[in-house]
Amino acid sequence: MTLGTAARRGAIPAAVLVVLLVLPALLGATSLLDIQSAIALALFACATNLLVGYGGLVSFGQAAFYGTGAYTVALMWMHWQTSFWLGFAAAPFVGAIAALLVGLVALRTRRLYFALLTLAFSQLFYVIALQQEKFTGGANGVFGEILPGFLNGMNNAYYFTLGVVVVALLALWWITRSPFGMTLRAIRENRERAEALGVNVFGHQLLAFVFAGVFCALAGTLAVVHDSSANPNILNWTESGYPVFMAVIGGQYLFLGPVVGAFIYEQGRDIVLANSNDYQLVFGLLLLAVVLFAPDGVLGMVVRAGQWLGRRRGGSPLSPRDGDDVASDDRAGSETTVALR
Amino acid sequence: MTLSSDIVTMLAAMTEASYLFIAAAGLTLVFGAMRIINIAHGSFYMYGALILTSVVGGVAGGRFWLGLLAAPLALVGIGAGVEIGVLRRIYKRDHLVQLVATYALFLIFADIALHVWGSQPRSVNPPSPLDGSVVIGSGKFPSYDLFAIGAAVVVGAALWALLQRTALGWRIRAAAEDPEILAVSGTNVPLLSTSVFMIGAALAGFAGALAAPLESVAPGLDATIVVSAFIVAVIGGLGSVVGAALAAIIISLFDTVGVIWVPQWSSAFIYIAMIAVLALRPWGLLGVAER
Repeated sequence: MTLGTAARRGAIPAAVLVVLLVLPALLGATSLLDIQSAIALALFACATNLLVGYGGLVSFGQAAFYGTGAYTVALMWMHWQTSFWLGFAAAPFVGAIAALLVGLVALRTRRLYFALLTLAFSQLFYVIALQQEKFTGGANGVFGEILPGFLNGMNNAYYFTLGVVVVALLALWWITRSPFGMTLRAIRENRERAEALGVNVFGHQLLAFVFAGVFCALAGTLAVVHDSSANPNILNWTESGYPVFMAVIGGQYLFLGPVVGAFIYEQGRDIVLANSNDYQLVFGLLLLAVVLFAPDGVLGMVVRAGQWLGRRRGGSPLSPRDGDDVASDDRAGSETTVALR
Repeated sequence: MTLSSDIVTMLAAMTEASYLFIAAAGLTLVFGAMRIINIAHGSFYMYGALILTSVVGGVAGGRFWLGLLAAPLALVGIGAGVEIGVLRRIYKRDHLVQLVATYALFLIFADIALHVWGSQPRSVNPPSPLDGSVVIGSGKFPSYDLFAIGAAVVVGAALWALLQRTALGWRIRAAAEDPEILAVSGTNVPLLSTSVFMIGAALAGFAGALAAPLESVAPGLDATIVVSAFIVAVIGGLGSVVGAALAAIIISLFDTVGVIWVPQWSSAFIYIAMIAVLALRPWGLLGVAER
C-alpha cells in the first residue's frame, strides 16, 4: 500500500467524521438522536462483524452482550446507586466475562450449530432478564435518572457517543490488522491448514469472541445513553439478528461495511416509517436483494465500482493488481468477494 | 398430587409436545434433505394458524375441519414459491447467506400477515364434538387436546412410513447422504428439493392450525415457535424425525413440570437443555455427526 492510497482511503472516513462533528449545529433534536442511535449501532455491528466477517463465526447471540452492557450500567445504578461512569467502566469487563463463559461452550460447535447455540444463549439471557423481576425489573426493565447531568445535554450525549465509537472502532481496526486478526482470517479461510500450521484455533476464536463481547457491551452502554433505560427486548434473539444484517447489508468483508449498514438500517427505517408501517417488508426485501445479488454488500459494491472505474482509467492504485488492496479471493462456494482490509 | 392429576399434567405436556413435534419435524426434514435452516418456518406455522382462523371465521364459527385441511394446502403453495423463488439460489452458498435470506423472508411474511390479518389476537374454539372434556379418574382433560396428541402420532407414523417405505422416502434419505450421486442416478434433485420443502411447509402449517384452538394467534407467534422448533430439532438431532419426537416430549415435560416446581426459572429450562445437549453432543440425541 502506497502513501497515496493510504491517504485516499483515510480521506473518506475522515470527511464523514467531520460531517458527523458539525451535525449538531445543523440538525434538530429528533434527527440528531437518530444519528446518535445509528452511531451506537455501528459499533454493535462492527463488533459483531469481528466474528461474522473476520472470523467466519456467525453468531446470532450478540444481543446477549449488548444487553449485558446496558444492564450492567442500569443494574449497578438501581441496586448500588453507583454513578453512570462506574457502570460504563465496568460494562466492558462484565461483557468480557460473559463472552468468555459463553464462548467456552459455544465454540465447541461449528457453523450452523454455532449460530443456533449462540441464539440459545441470547434467549437464555433474555428470559433471565424477563423472569428475575426482583433483580432486573422484569418486562419493564430499568429506567430512571441513570444518566449524569452532563449526558442529559443533547449535544453532550451525541459527542460522547461519537467519541466512544470512534475510539472503539480504531481499537477494533487495530485488532483486525494485528497478527491476531490476520490469523483469525486465515482460520476462516482454511481451518484445517491453520491447525496444521500449529495455530491454536480454539484460542484465537475464543479471544475474538471475548473482544466482540467487550465491544458489544460498550455499544450496550451507549444504548443506555440513548434510551436512559435498559429493557429485556434488547436481549431478544430477533435483536441479535440486526447487527448481523447491518454487516451483511453494508458488506461484511470490509471493515467499515457494518457502519454503512447501520446507517442504512437506522436512517432507512425512519424514511420508511415516515410514509408507512411496512418497515419490516422493505428491510426484508433489501436484505434478500443484497444476499442474492450483492454478496459484498453496499460498500462492497461501491468499492467494486471504484475498482472498475480505476481499471478503465488504467493503473490506478485501486486496481486489483495492487495485491494488498483488493485481492479478490475465491472463498468456499466460489463466491468472489472483496477482500477484508 | 394425586395419580389422576399427575396423568392430567402429563397429558398437558403431551399436548404441547404434539404441535411442537409436528413443527420441528418439518424443520428437521428440510434440514436433513437440504442442509438448510429455514427461519421462515415460524412464519409458515403462524400462517397455518391464521388461515385456520380465517376459514373458521370468528371464535365460535364452523368449518374447523375445512380450515385444518386448507392451512397445510395453502402452505404447500407458499412453500413451493419460496423454494423455487429464493432457496434454490442459495443452496450452494454459506450458512450466513442461508440464515440471512430465510430471516429476510421471515420479516416479509410478518409484514404481509399484519396487512392481511391485522395485529389483534385471534382465537378459535375447538370444533363441536371435541369442545368438551373427558374424565380421567378424578380429573378432567379437554378432548381437543387428546385429538391433538392423536394427530401428532398419526403424522409421526405417516412421516416414518414415507421416509422408510416409499421411493420418495429413500430419495430424500439419499439426498441427505449424497445429492450428486443421486442426481447422476437419474433423480431430478431440484424437483425433489421442492417436494421436500413443500412437505416441510405443510407440516408447519398443519401444526399451526392444530395449535390454533390452544393458543392466542397474534403477531410474534412466528418468532416464538421457530425458536422452540429449533430447540426441539437440534436436541433431537437435526435431520432425525424420531429424534424430534423424543425431544418434543422431553422439552414439553421439562416445560410443564418446570412451571409447577420452579416458576421463576421455567422459561430458562429449554435453553439450558439445548445448551447442555449441544455442548456435550453437538449432533443431538439421535442425529449423526457432521462429516
